[in-house]
Parts: sequence; structure tokens; C-alpha cells
Amino acid sequence: MSDVALDADAAQLAVEHCYEQGWSDGLPLVPATQPLVDRFLAAGGRSADDVIGHMPQLDRTVTVELAAINAAMAGCKPEYFPVVLAAWEALMNERATKGGGWQSTSGPAPLIIVNGPIRGELGFNGAGGVFGPGFRANATVARAIGLIVRNVFGVRPHELEQATQGLPGRWSLCIAENEEESPWAPLAEERGVTGDAVSATLLRTCEYVDNRHTTDPEQLLADFADTIGRSGAWIFRHAMAGVVFSPEHAQLLAGAGFGRADVAAWLAEHAGRTTRELARAGKDHSTEAGVRFPGTDAEPDGFQRTVAPGAEPTMLIAVAGARNAGISMVVRYFADWSGTPVAIRREASHE
Amino acid sequence: MPNAILDPTGRGAGSVTSPRGGRAERHGDLAGLRVGLLDNTKHNALLFLEEVGELLVSRHGAASVSIVETKANFSVPIDETIVSRFRQACDVVITGVGDCGSCSAAAVADGINFERAGIPAAVVLTDAFTVTGRTMAEVHGAPDFEWITTEHPMASLSPDEVRERAAGLMTQIVDTLARVAS
Repeated sequence: MSDVALDADAAQLAVEHCYEQGWSDGLPLVPATQPLVDRFLAAGGRSADDVIGHMPQLDRTVTVELAAINAAMAGCKPEYFPVVLAAWEALMNERATKGGGWQSTSGPAPLIIVNGPIRGELGFNGAGGVFGPGFRANATVARAIGLIVRNVFGVRPHELEQATQGLPGRWSLCIAENEEESPWAPLAEERGVTGDAVSATLLRTCEYVDNRHTTDPEQLLADFADTIGRSGAWIFRHAMAGVVFSPEHAQLLAGAGFGRADVAAWLAEHAGRTTRELARAGKDHSTEAGVRFPGTDAEPDGFQRTVAPGAEPTMLIAVAGARNAGISMVVRYFADWSGTPVAIRREASHE
Repeated sequence: MPNAILDPTGRGAGSVTSPRGGRAERHGDLAGLRVGLLDNTKHNALLFLEEVGELLVSRHGAASVSIVETKANFSVPIDETIVSRFRQACDVVITGVGDCGSCSAAAVADGINFERAGIPAAVVLTDAFTVTGRTMAEVHGAPDFEWITTEHPMASLSPDEVRERAAGLMTQIVDTLARVAS
């Protein structure tokens, strides 16, 4: 690189060219050329023609090569490409992306969580400011997913993408788990995938919880249960959520003997609203299928759980952020989460 | 010679699906025809379709509502198996109501598929989804496909309002299903 004269004027023209083609999400793209994409393909270790995604309603297909072009344009380094492939695979495995998720009026955002030594090697942030911005690996891997949806599936805003407002942080929610300061085993390892792995699903909302007010684990959990139980994003009989805990909150809970499953069980049991409270929002009546609507037949003081009984194992409980305050994030799913991480497969030369 | 900038879409600049024909033949009226309803599961959709079906029979000479199905996935267009079932069971079909991002686009694709199979189709979308409907029609090679637009929203209407809405659209629906192309 150092012996190449940097031609900023040519670079600007190339960036403008990408805008003119309609490829950009609004920010400048790195113009992708074959030599650059070849480095991505080498790092990805998969055949360029491998099909890694299909959207049946549009009959459009994602290949490894098209994913590599979009990852390059997003600003990824070639060595990030295995993470992009794993994140894409994890998302494509989710029910939320098989239907109309990418086109939805909800404007859902993928949440991508990275585990394993690759976090440090590639510079994924899992500590302060984990939800960004500021870190190339986090920002560009998430952006690559958004560009694949936009460009390869052709799901573009105002056209096939119909987000009413869209979720803030859409295409930028890629975080590393803070394994070093987590009291629990890495998220993916608890789910059966040791080492470098990605867990992902689509989110409907994120909501911040600040609690530096108690050392009682049940009081702390009650604050999260209250946030999970809000009616605003709750539209079907049940809704699903998880929590990305700060190290301080996670350590408090673990110190009181709570493992991930205990946290999930407690939150699932306590998150919800009474029928009377839901009636105020016109959301008290629900059926097995279909959305909530006003009804008059239920006991007003009856408690309606947000999380479906039995769904506790797929509440995502992760740890990320700085060890400097009791601030955590409730992450509410667009639909559900399979609970199945995808291993990041790197070329042999990197192992 | 500098390296070319690669296209990230896989479709090439300006490539569009080439138009493929297929508007089903009409008969000028609905006398004696069997009506099919395809419900896309959205709130109020089935009530709306059933009301339209009843009015087609009671006021416009249709024989009966002969098939009613609910889509398994409102986001994805129906497959050939379902189209075949409708072709066996009915002569015209009403589908909708497109009032969300993916279901509106899919309803347009459903209408195009029915027409190609020889079944006149009336597709109903709310007016908030005109652009996504048109984009989907282009993707499916029928850029001029016409559907019926109703005021947004539909999901929050009361049952009586839904019936009113259906009654108000009957002229357009009958015209869509029966008018012989000039």
C-alpha cells in the first residue's frame, strides 16, 4: 500500500459512482474490485458460487461471491469475511428472515453476537460503547448484512422494504460478548459451539435499563421484567426478548447464584401485564394466531405473561459493555430466536 | 487499465424481468361463476373477503363461494399446488388484504400467478402499499398488473366498517373480474 500514490480524486469519483448506481445505504462505500474481492473469497474459504441465501418471493439468490462484494463495499477487511458468512448463515437459519422480515413495516434490525478468540484478533468491541459506533469490525460486519439485503435481495427502502420508521441501529448491531468480564460461559459455548461463533436474530426494539439502585438480585430482575412486559412492542399473544447485560449486572446476578437459565426463568415468569393494564392499550384479548385486540371477557386482574411458557430456553442472555455502570439492554425479538449459534470457519492458514 | 468496480446486485445495471403475458379471459359478467377467496391472514382480511363473496353471489349473479383458503405464510406468494386447487374449484378469485410490507407485495404476486393460470383475480391492497406492489409486479414480469386500492388502514376497522368497505368496492371488484379487455 505504501508504494502506491493515493489518488483521492479518483477515489471520490469511484465513491460517487457507487452512489449513482443506488448501491449505498447512505454512507460512502468502498468500491469493490476483483483483486479485493478475491482476497475476501480466499479468507472465506468457500466456493464463490456457493448459494447461501434465497428469497423465494423475489426468486433472488445470494452467492458467496455477491456476499464478498457487499462485505468489501461495507468496509470490511478480508479477514472479517468468515464472520460475515457465519452471521449471514445464522440469520438465514432464523424463522424471522424466512418470511417477510426484511420487508416488514416493523423495520427490524439484525442483532449479531460474536464469541471466541477471533474477537480480539480482529478487533471486535465487546466492552465500552459496545452498541457502537467506533469500531470497524463491529460496524462493517453489521453493515455488510444490510448491503446484501439491499443489493442482492433488492429489498430497498420505499420499494420492497416498507419500514414505517425502522429500528435505530438497523444494520449496525454487531457486538462481541465480553467473555473476559462475564461470570458465565460464552453464549455460544453454552449453546454447544465452542470457540469462534456467531449468534443472531432480528430485533423489534432495544431498550436501555439503568439500575444502580439495588444489590438485591430480584429487585434488579424486576426492573428488567417490567421493561420486557411493556405493551408497546407486544402485538401477538406472546412476545420474546432477551437481555444484553453489562458486566456489573451479570456479576451481581451470578454472585447471587443465578445462571443464564435461572435469569431467563425468572424473567419469563415475571414479565407481563394484567389484563386490566393491557386493556388500557386495547391489547387485552389474544388468540392463538393473529394480533391482540380489545376484548371484554377476561378477568381484569389476571396476569398475562409476555414470554410463552416453555420459551425460556430461547431467551438470549449475553454479557457486553464496560464494567463501569449498571446499564444493560433489553433486546426484543422481531419473532423468535432458534438459540443455535453458527461456528465461524476460517481458512486453514489462520488456524 | 484500472480494475472495474464490481456490481454488488448480481443482476446487472438496468436488468428487469422481461414481461410475461397472462391476463385471464373475462366473460363480461359473473353469471353462474364460482368464487374463490384467498385470505392472507391479516386482521379483517377474511371478514372483508367473505363479505365480497356474499355480495358477488347475492347481487352480481355468481353461483357460490366455492373455495376459501388461508395462506400459510402471508409473505410468500402461493405455489403451483394452491393455484391448481383454485383452478379446479373456482372461476374467479379475490385475495388480500395487503396492508403490510411483505403481504402486499406477495398479494400482487398471487394475483399475477392466478391470472397466468387463467383465473381472473381481484387483489386488494391499501393505498399505503402502492409502491411496493408496483415493484413486486415488475419483479414478477407483469409491470402493468392492476389491483384494487382501498384506503389505509384496514386492520383497525370495526366489523361494520369492514362490511361497508367491501360494499363500496364492489363496482371495482366486479369490473376487475368481468370486464373483457378492450
